[in-house]
Amino acid sequence: MTATAERTRERVGDIPRVQRPTVGRRSRGERTRIWSGVIVCVLFLLPLVWMLLTSFKFQRDIFTTPPTVFFEPTITQYVAAFKNAGLGPKMINTIIVALGAGILSLVAGAMAGYALSRLHIKGAATIGVLILVSRGVPPIALAVPMFLVARTLGITDTHITLILAYCSFVIPYVMWLMRGFFLSLPKELEESAMLDGCSRMGAFFRIIVPISAPGLISTFIFSVILAWEELLFALVLTSRKAVTVPVAIAGMAGDTEHGANWGALSAAGMLTVVPVVILALLVQKWLIRGLADGAIKG
Amino acid sequence: MTVEPLRGRIGGTRRASHRRDILSKWAFMLPAALLLAAVLAYPLLHTLRISFSTFDLASFSPTEWVGFANYAAALQNQTFQSSLIVTGVYLVLALPLQIVLGFGIAYLMNAGWRGRGLIRALFLIPMVVAPVVSGGIWKMILDPLWGVVDWFLGLFGVSAIDWFGNATISMVSIVLIDTWRSVPFVALIAAAALLALPKDVFEAAKVDGASWWHTLWSVSLPMLGPIIAATFVVRWLGAVKMFDIILATTNGGPGEATNVVNLFIYRQAFQLLKFSESSAMAVIVLVITTILTFVFLLGSKSLEDRL
Repeated sequence: MTATAERTRERVGDIPRVQRPTVGRRSRGERTRIWSGVIVCVLFLLPLVWMLLTSFKFQRDIFTTPPTVFFEPTITQYVAAFKNAGLGPKMINTIIVALGAGILSLVAGAMAGYALSRLHIKGAATIGVLILVSRGVPPIALAVPMFLVARTLGITDTHITLILAYCSFVIPYVMWLMRGFFLSLPKELEESAMLDGCSRMGAFFRIIVPISAPGLISTFIFSVILAWEELLFALVLTSRKAVTVPVAIAGMAGDTEHGANWGALSAAGMLTVVPVVILALLVQKWLIRGLADGAIKG
Repeated sequence: MTVEPLRGRIGGTRRASHRRDILSKWAFMLPAALLLAAVLAYPLLHTLRISFSTFDLASFSPTEWVGFANYAAALQNQTFQSSLIVTGVYLVLALPLQIVLGFGIAYLMNAGWRGRGLIRALFLIPMVVAPVVSGGIWKMILDPLWGVVDWFLGLFGVSAIDWFGNATISMVSIVLIDTWRSVPFVALIAAAALLALPKDVFEAAKVDGASWWHTLWSVSLPMLGPIIAATFVVRWLGAVKMFDIILATTNGGPGEATNVVNLFIYRQAFQLLKFSESSAMAVIVLVITTILTFVFLLGSKSLEDRL
């Protein structure tokens, strides 16, 4: 068994192991299966590779037939994205809003998730169903009143408005994931601490939070990704100062008549995709488990 | 554990401390409850209120109570009806396709070889691409003039396809783009579920001489039923919100061909400033979505119980 295979196995972690890959003698069916998997995977990545290539092309290399694969790389498109489309401030807005919504939702959602996992009352199950159903609320049903209220209060186009708006869908998500996570922890953990005179709040912050760090961190990362990608609320609630990158990208994609600004669009796309891909790969194992939990524990 | 008897020894203060504990448990709910009341419950009630009123654009507030007039107007609005149908068509095409493809790809991904971890990691990537970015990427790739897909098809003598040109093809393109982004999600969940299936059942089926197809139909599918249903529910909850990809690509066109209900209501509200009618439409969509979500949840629950 090679070292790589061992590491792979470790990373896959709690997913039950399959039979040891027998090196060399695979049946033809097994080989077809592996190669089909590789081909499908490559096909799925090609669009992103194409965006990557386009983002480093000069304008003249973008609009060619046949498409150019080998070219002199340039960062002009990135420069253009920052200069002409004002991507810099929009990136900063997106970072502030995503982190703000992530932190606020994590604190509120994790505490509520903890309560749901430990509250032995009939309400807990109902709240669980409500959370799931709330994920089906069309954002447009919230966007109209949010816009009207924000306008009345004079807080449209601010970071805090967008952060609060994002809480409407990130908090339920965090509650759901963290509830599942806390359910898997034994109750004795905090109960013994509470016998030693710790309040439940104290026990939560001193015992449960440190133990749950991996779950909390990965949930935080999902939350940031959710907020990072959001478009509808950002379109409705921002106009100049707090505009986020997805809004800018929607604008770029909207006014390309056969590719006027594909280069800048690709560059902006890369700048939104790369950070979340890195984050997602960092918490890969947790991400998959979180998704599965989010889907299964119904 | 020894916790219960120990607790009993504290005696008289037990009930009081128990009550305090219940209170503190609810204190944990407070931040989320307040925030969700402000950003979820209140806006929904406000939408409801606006949907039953006329709307004064000078003061930007709902004024006169008009009962169900806005609902009647919404339901008679032909574009709204067509946007509901468009959304339905998209869901009916996209969801089954994504579930089937997702489980198929999961089977391929689970092949036991040393690249499995890498394949799994790479599959994660399209999933975290922002929907609006995936719309942008595919708009470039599918461009009839400079797009790489039409060039590639051209090598095989296929004449350039205008992927966003007519009603049918643009819907196909939307489903394609959404599938590209969502299938990895289904596949990753499915891969974990497939690995968790008990091996001995399959061996038994093999010993009994069951065909591949028969094994799939009478062994794998029934066992996977609950997870398929759960994945479907999660995908459904995501797919009903379809907005970003369409805004970035077809913008609802050509004509109304891909004008999904979220985009239509968005335009009614924020471009035409018809806040009352759009609120009524949003409530209608909310009701339909909630009912269907409950139906799907009950369906997946009954699948689980049957096992």
